[in-house]
Amino acid sequence: MKANNTLMRADRSASLLWRRHMCDKLATAMSWLGMLIVVFMLGSILWTLFKNGLAGMSVHLFTMSMAAPGQPGGLANAIMGSIIQTGLAILIGAPAGLMTGIYLAEYGTTSRMARIVRFVSDMLLSAPSILIGLFIYMMLVVPFGHFSGLSGAVALAILAMPIVVRTTEDMLRLVPVAMREAGIALGAPKWRVILFICVRAVRAGIMTGVLLAIARVAGETAPLLFTSLGNSEWSLDLGRPMASLPVAIYQYAGSAYQDWMQQAWTGALLVTLGVLIINIVVRVGTRGGRS
Amino acid sequence: MSVEVPVKATGMTQPLDSTAASKDTPHPVAMQVKGLNFYYGTSHALHDISLDFPERSVTGMIGPSGCGKSTLLRVLNRMYDLYPGQRATGEVIFDKQNILNSGVDLNVLRSRIGMVFQKPTPFPMSIYDNIAFGIRLHERVSRSEMDGRVEDALRRVALWPEVQDRLSASATALSGGQQQRLCIARTIAVRPEVILLDEPTSALDPVSTARIEELLDELKTEFTIAIVTHNMQQAARCADQVAFFYMGRLIEVDSTARMFTTPREQQTQDYITGRFG
Amino acid sequence: MGNEPAHTITRYDQELDRLRGIVARMGGLVERQTAQAIAAVVNQNEEAALEPPELDPEVDALEREAEMLAIRILALRAPMAVDLRVIVAVLKMSGDLERIGDYASSIARRAAKVEVLDGAISFSALRAMARLVQENLHMAVESMVENDAERAQEVWKADTAVDELYTTMFRELVTYMMEDPRKIAPCIHLLFVAKNLERIGDHATNIAERVYYAVTGEMLPSVRPRGGAARTNIEQPE
Repeated sequence: MKANNTLMRADRSASLLWRRHMCDKLATAMSWLGMLIVVFMLGSILWTLFKNGLAGMSVHLFTMSMAAPGQPGGLANAIMGSIIQTGLAILIGAPAGLMTGIYLAEYGTTSRMARIVRFVSDMLLSAPSILIGLFIYMMLVVPFGHFSGLSGAVALAILAMPIVVRTTEDMLRLVPVAMREAGIALGAPKWRVILFICVRAVRAGIMTGVLLAIARVAGETAPLLFTSLGNSEWSLDLGRPMASLPVAIYQYAGSAYQDWMQQAWTGALLVTLGVLIINIVVRVGTRGGRS
Repeated sequence: MSVEVPVKATGMTQPLDSTAASKDTPHPVAMQVKGLNFYYGTSHALHDISLDFPERSVTGMIGPSGCGKSTLLRVLNRMYDLYPGQRATGEVIFDKQNILNSGVDLNVLRSRIGMVFQKPTPFPMSIYDNIAFGIRLHERVSRSEMDGRVEDALRRVALWPEVQDRLSASATALSGGQQQRLCIARTIAVRPEVILLDEPTSALDPVSTARIEELLDELKTEFTIAIVTHNMQQAARCADQVAFFYMGRLIEVDSTARMFTTPREQQTQDYITGRFG
Repeated sequence: MGNEPAHTITRYDQELDRLRGIVARMGGLVERQTAQAIAAVVNQNEEAALEPPELDPEVDALEREAEMLAIRILALRAPMAVDLRVIVAVLKMSGDLERIGDYASSIARRAAKVEVLDGAISFSALRAMARLVQENLHMAVESMVENDAERAQEVWKADTAVDELYTTMFRELVTYMMEDPRKIAPCIHLLFVAKNLERIGDHATNIAERVYYAVTGEMLPSVRPRGGAARTNIEQPE
């Protein structure tokens, strides 16, 4: 290095330059190392999932409901249950989160009320999910006297909401003031500017928030244990206990039966793939909105 | 220059004034600012401003940064209302009303007094919808009528030939100069009487700037225009009368030709000849 | 103009100073040319007669230099208000000064031709006129260098007296020529000398008008108080 430094001037310290250079190299090497560790861990998780999960892939998995050990069975009811509960949770949580995010970014901003809402929302974001499950157990399961798919969906909705709130608020804050003012200057009322200009401008970002929320709640087990409980029968009734993939995995993985354990691996693979596919589909779909 | 005596635009007798603006008899006043004071919270940003905006002519507003020229512009369409703590006293007379009154419908006011900003602000939608957005706010028009209005607005800003094949394309894909012309088209599509421009070319290259200036020349046959600019040459090229602001005060207002050859106030002279601070 | 605060851009000030320096130098040169030309005629100083034509090329060169620099500043600095007025004034004044130099040379060249008249006729009117023109020119140049609008206005008013003196001389010389036809040629030369002096006075007035505009931004009225002009026009056989 020193030898190459033909541009070196007499009034510059060569040793300082060398030290800086080494620091730079070291920091770069550390970054690479960190990245490799993470990629290795992710890779090994996926590898294990595929290795153990692919073996259980069959048509039965998607067509048959859960069965006793040794009996022919699949995960159809759990897959359906997960789709219903996650879907319902997003249908409830995303609009509520979106509107709260809009309130925080556009209306409340620095008011006392907004500060409280923001604080509570951020608390929820980091609250243990089992607490949410217990809360809904007290609110919706105990009063009605039985577990239900609906209470599971509500528990998941509460988990999804703060994620959407945070991303919506953060995204809306990125909208330039000039854009808002341009809308107002045309004589547009505030709600129209927010909905048709600001939200539109950051729809890709908000969509990402919703995706994050889906990914988060699709894999949740704890809040469902006290709410939708799980069900080995095929059931679409939201008023009754409902199966779900994470709960099924939880049950099967802890069992002593070989075929149940195999299905638990496959279920885990399904959850992972499902989240991945939704991600890709929505990202491709909203690409046009990015600029 | 005393605070108490507001400067008034004076009728000129000098031969210098044989410019297009004063060719026909003095324009009636479209908008009249009288004894305006403006406050950002407790800081007094505009001091007793009185200024007439003649109909169908361009009023240029110049002065160093923070002199209050943009603040005044934002009073004229009540843009400051968006922000708590900002307040104006005095009068701004438009269509025989003081628009500073609390009873004024701001959406209607802003449809009559349009504004174009420093940075082009195309909405995140198609070129067509960018124009249609404003029209839909204030009028109920049929699909075919809307097509006509959009085309007309785009033709007025000379953007039509460039975008007629891609009206449904996103407006954000246009170049900076095109975006700014789109924003002007969007503003005139609502059919305002006054157009306020806040440094509309400061983010544009010289060719785009020239096109906007040419456009202003055309638009002033129909609209009353107020333009804030940092570029004195631009004020000299575009404006019929020029107002010079300094430290929240209107120092001098006069016909453009007079302002740039024979300003009356020493502060104006120092500013426009480049002798400031 | 000279007493304005400095420009933010120092080079701009330097260029304007250089421009003023050039016309100030031209002013000094043509004053000298005029003084020598007058001495050549009135005092019949042959040596003095040589100098004005010799100085001409320098004045011409300075005029070109002033013009180039003024155009350069116009193009590069986009001058406004007082700066613009000064530059336009300089462009015009350098032309006036150059013309004054030409007239002075022309007078100097006629000095020998009017020699025969020395003693034969009274040069008192010519002397008075020369003194006035020289004074006006001096004041005009001074008002130019010092940006003095008041003095410029004085010059502008004083030109009436020059015009009146020229009318007087014109009558006097016509009388002479009728009395003694042999003196017609030198008399005509002397008339040209007077006419050239009068033209120098006019250009000095132009300079004063330019100075007044540059300093105040106001134009002096286009019609100057000009007592003698009307009468000359009637009597001149044109």
